[in-house]
Amino acid sequence: MSVASKLAYFGRTAIGSIVRSPFVHVIAVASLSLALVGFGVARIARAQLDALVDALGGEVELTVYLAEDAAPEQVAELEQALTQRTGGEVHRISPAEALGRLATQLGEDGKALTELPQNPLPWSLEVRLPKAARDAEALGELSRRTRALPFVTGVDYGEEALVRLGLIARALEVASLVVFSLVFLTAVIVVSATLQLAIFARREEIEIQKLVGATDRFVRVPFLLEGLLQGLLASGLALGALVGLVRWLESSAAGPLAFARLDGQLAVEWPRLAGELVGIGCALGLSGSFIAVRRFLRV
Amino acid sequence: MIQMFHVTKAYPGDPPVLVDINLDIDKGEFVFLTGPSGAGKSTLLKLMFLAERATRGQVLLAGRNVARLRESGIPFLRRNIGVVFQDFKLLPTRTVAENVGFTLDVLGTPRDEVRDRSLKMLRRVGLEHKADVSPLKLSGGEQQRVSLARALVNDPALLLADEPTGNLDPALTVEIMDLLTDVNARGTTIVVATHDATLIERYQKRTLRLEKGTVVADERGAKAARLMSQTA
Repeated sequence: MSVASKLAYFGRTAIGSIVRSPFVHVIAVASLSLALVGFGVARIARAQLDALVDALGGEVELTVYLAEDAAPEQVAELEQALTQRTGGEVHRISPAEALGRLATQLGEDGKALTELPQNPLPWSLEVRLPKAARDAEALGELSRRTRALPFVTGVDYGEEALVRLGLIARALEVASLVVFSLVFLTAVIVVSATLQLAIFARREEIEIQKLVGATDRFVRVPFLLEGLLQGLLASGLALGALVGLVRWLESSAAGPLAFARLDGQLAVEWPRLAGELVGIGCALGLSGSFIAVRRFLRV
Repeated sequence: MIQMFHVTKAYPGDPPVLVDINLDIDKGEFVFLTGPSGAGKSTLLKLMFLAERATRGQVLLAGRNVARLRESGIPFLRRNIGVVFQDFKLLPTRTVAENVGFTLDVLGTPRDEVRDRSLKMLRRVGLEHKADVSPLKLSGGEQQRVSLARALVNDPALLLADEPTGNLDPALTVEIMDLLTDVNARGTTIVVATHDATLIERYQKRTLRLEKGTVVADERGAKAARLMSQTA
């Protein structure tokens, strides 16, 4: 028997078995889908929390206050060094621009600032920090070294906020790891139990195949194909359910989403999520079938 | 073809089912295995198609010591053995023809050939007209014939049959026994476990009588028939 005809036989057997006993396959696909939806929800929730942390972190800035006698070359050199070290954009803020901003922030009270005989604010450099540069320890070190420069009078980078943000991010990472592990473990147990149940119903077929001379591989391959098909189908169904869920959330919870600075839209990388669902669905279907069929091969 | 030396089979917690069995069945022989229920006939057949392993002693199939056979080698040995099970072991989710072709599928036979050979075999057991129905729609006797067709479809070197005529009426019994005789004449070694004394008397083949897990008589021809009339 050629490889092609063998594959055709395995394919026919797998599809034939699905057609012959649709109920057990529906149960298996349903349990796989539920497990994948659980995984997808956990994944989407994690992505929203990441987006939230990013949104909050968008305001992290490093501000360097310059002395009045700072030479333009020294300032330019510092600008370049800060860009290189942080990867962020550096803006030079004049005393007049700083005073204008302060006046805007103070509102009505800001008008009093116009009556000052002299602008008391210094020249400064503002660095908007990208995500990768928001490490509290590294910024502390950068801040200390910058402050030590003779033409720098002070450095501010919202140390306290940054430390808190770091703690939140770490807590989210641990929490999501725990949730992922629980969802995955539950999925493996549920899926494997369901597939065992489905294969238990066909133990006689396996027994007869073995008694008429089928090798373990010959018996196993159609079951693995079925597991693979179930995984694919389940991942498609789970993806559809997640798309529906996200659309519904976006339409019915636009207010809370806006509050969470998500502009009324959930942050979901659909191609990546789809890939993960297909990968995990197929892996669960294959491994579940492999484990389940192994029990009945000893004839 | 089949040799057994001091074979004992016991299950944990129970008395031995087979005790110190010694036998030698030559290639091309036709052997009846008889004895009362619980004598160990089915277990002896199971040792022959490797569904069970001997607790003690040696079993040789076609000259190969099965104790030394690796698990992965068992399927290839089984491909030369056709088995008719007492409970038929037909798949209710497949048609009669698919059940018969199951053995050929396992051997990797092309699809069209599987269908052709299955139909030919069903014709020999008188069930070609039932090829596309479910075995659940067949009578016990018909299911038995399908089981026999499946066992014979790949021309095995050895056929083991556990009560192959148990559900058949006398006319069909003769038909099936004639088929087995014909298969035997073409070189297939046949071992039939049966309660049916008339069968043994009529066909006068070598007969092994088992009682309480031991071979108590091994007779051929007319003597076998007499053995049955004495012990039946």
